[in-house]
Amino acid sequence: MSAVTDQFAAPSASVRKTPKGTFDLVFRNASFLAALFVLVLLAGIMASMVIGGWPAFREFGFGFLTSSVWDTQNDQYGAWPAIVGTLSTALIALVVGVPLSLGIAVFLTQLAPPWFKQPVSTAIELLAAVPSIIYGMWGLFVFAPLFAAYVQIPLSNIVEGMPIIGTVLYSRSPSGLGILTAGIILAFMIIPFIASITRDMLDQIPSVLRESAYGIGATTWEVVRHVLVPQAGVSIIGAIMLGLGRALGETMAVTFVVGNANRLSASVMDPGSTIASRIANEFNEALGLQLNSLIALGCILFFVTFVVLVIARLLVARVKRY
Amino acid sequence: MLSTLELSPQTLDAEAPVRIAVKNLDFYYGEHKALKNVNLDFRDRHVTALIGPSGCGKSTLLRIFNRIYSLYPEQRATGEVLLDGRNVISNQVDVNELRSRIGMVFQKPTPFPMSIYDNVAFGIRLYEKPPKSELDDRVEGALRRAALWDEVKDKLKASGMGLSGGQQQRLCIARTIAQKPEVILFDEPTSALDPISTGKIEDLLEQLKTDFTIVIVTHNMQQAARISQYTAFMYLGEVIEFAATNTIFMNPHKKQTQDYVTGRFG
Repeated sequence: MSAVTDQFAAPSASVRKTPKGTFDLVFRNASFLAALFVLVLLAGIMASMVIGGWPAFREFGFGFLTSSVWDTQNDQYGAWPAIVGTLSTALIALVVGVPLSLGIAVFLTQLAPPWFKQPVSTAIELLAAVPSIIYGMWGLFVFAPLFAAYVQIPLSNIVEGMPIIGTVLYSRSPSGLGILTAGIILAFMIIPFIASITRDMLDQIPSVLRESAYGIGATTWEVVRHVLVPQAGVSIIGAIMLGLGRALGETMAVTFVVGNANRLSASVMDPGSTIASRIANEFNEALGLQLNSLIALGCILFFVTFVVLVIARLLVARVKRY
Repeated sequence: MLSTLELSPQTLDAEAPVRIAVKNLDFYYGEHKALKNVNLDFRDRHVTALIGPSGCGKSTLLRIFNRIYSLYPEQRATGEVLLDGRNVISNQVDVNELRSRIGMVFQKPTPFPMSIYDNVAFGIRLYEKPPKSELDDRVEGALRRAALWDEVKDKLKASGMGLSGGQQQRLCIARTIAQKPEVILFDEPTSALDPISTGKIEDLLEQLKTDFTIVIVTHNMQQAARISQYTAFMYLGEVIEFAATNTIFMNPHKKQTQDYVTGRFG
């Protein structure tokens, strides 16, 4: 009995020393180095992009951003059509994809009977796992011809000669390839991301909140619009921004269906190019100033993505106050 | 032991009309029968408490009155729940309109993600489009009624989520009464609150019964004794005893009821 008491008695004046002190020190520093690695990597990428693109920026100055020329014979390069193409395809992807994604998420969490919910949820996960080259091939061989035959040609006949939409929706060469096609394919690609994150966020809302919204007589639309979506608001914006990030940088599928024209057209039906598709198309054979210009394009894409992230953060901060 | 219970000072009016009549009500969660042949009358402008151990079906019963159970396809009720003579569990009932007439306050405060003002105005706006000045008056009236006005009048535009738990629950009560319902259902409204907030909510219930028919589910026997005029004791999906609160707590007819209210089981 007394032995037990001794065992738990407080040690006298002697100081305890943990035997594993050295290991802990190594462990801490190792995890610090791992974290530091991210910063070094990012800085390294940024530096090499800026250094690689510098000759192009120096040669063309600010005009590199605003010029629409892309002339390999005379070594004249401008980024404007690719920037516009990148932003417009991403915007179209969001306009098409976000409402669909929210619709999917709301249906799955609020309305779907259990036997339907599971297959659709699984299908969304599978869609997210489809490699982008598959989307590209499908877009080029299946979607584009159908789009040309059933949308571009009839629509061009209708809008021809009309002010504004006669320009924006008119397709001069109805091949099915173009900015709008790329935007729609991008929408298909980002839907699984936005839908599944939004679904998870809506699922996390306590059912008592949903019940109390229904409990004062709100309809499904009112519950979703005024209570559930605002409640999940910040996370939904985060999901959309994740989708936007993917849409901005997506390369393979877009290169297949965007048409790869270096000229800027006022019509979303016409072929165009994005920063990523331009780089993918030309990187193989680029030399000298052309290579520098492509790297400079990459720099711009990097910057645009960064700005999108910052805007997303600001939006999130603004929404959080409520 | 019973004498320590402080019984509601309000006398009940046995002649008061029946607001909700429950007749031969059965309820199923899928295959599981959760309510068995329930028959109860809820009188106009009285507080009726539903007591009983966890899982006895009291919350289930409450959730039938405003058809919240209809949100879940595997749940169904058979029998009759007559609100002013109309069977609310029939398929012909417009559930949204029904829910605007039968308000519900939940176990946990559920402020909506919007401003304090909009939280209260939300329910009004669903069914009416009053002019701004009238809406302002009704929001203020409801907040005063819920004893919250003085605490929030300077920050009506602030988010309802920023209030304390007790304030949030009073906000939910304000939101419910702003709709001018006929019946208010309380599902353990104070179980997540501290004693001071609980006291405020109980005071509130005391004066709300002058205008509303109230049904409250509670685990707190003292609370049931303090605020209700009628009490139903439920056990395993059945109503064991239903009588005036005084009778249930002072002189119950059934042994089970006596055991429960004196804390011998439950």
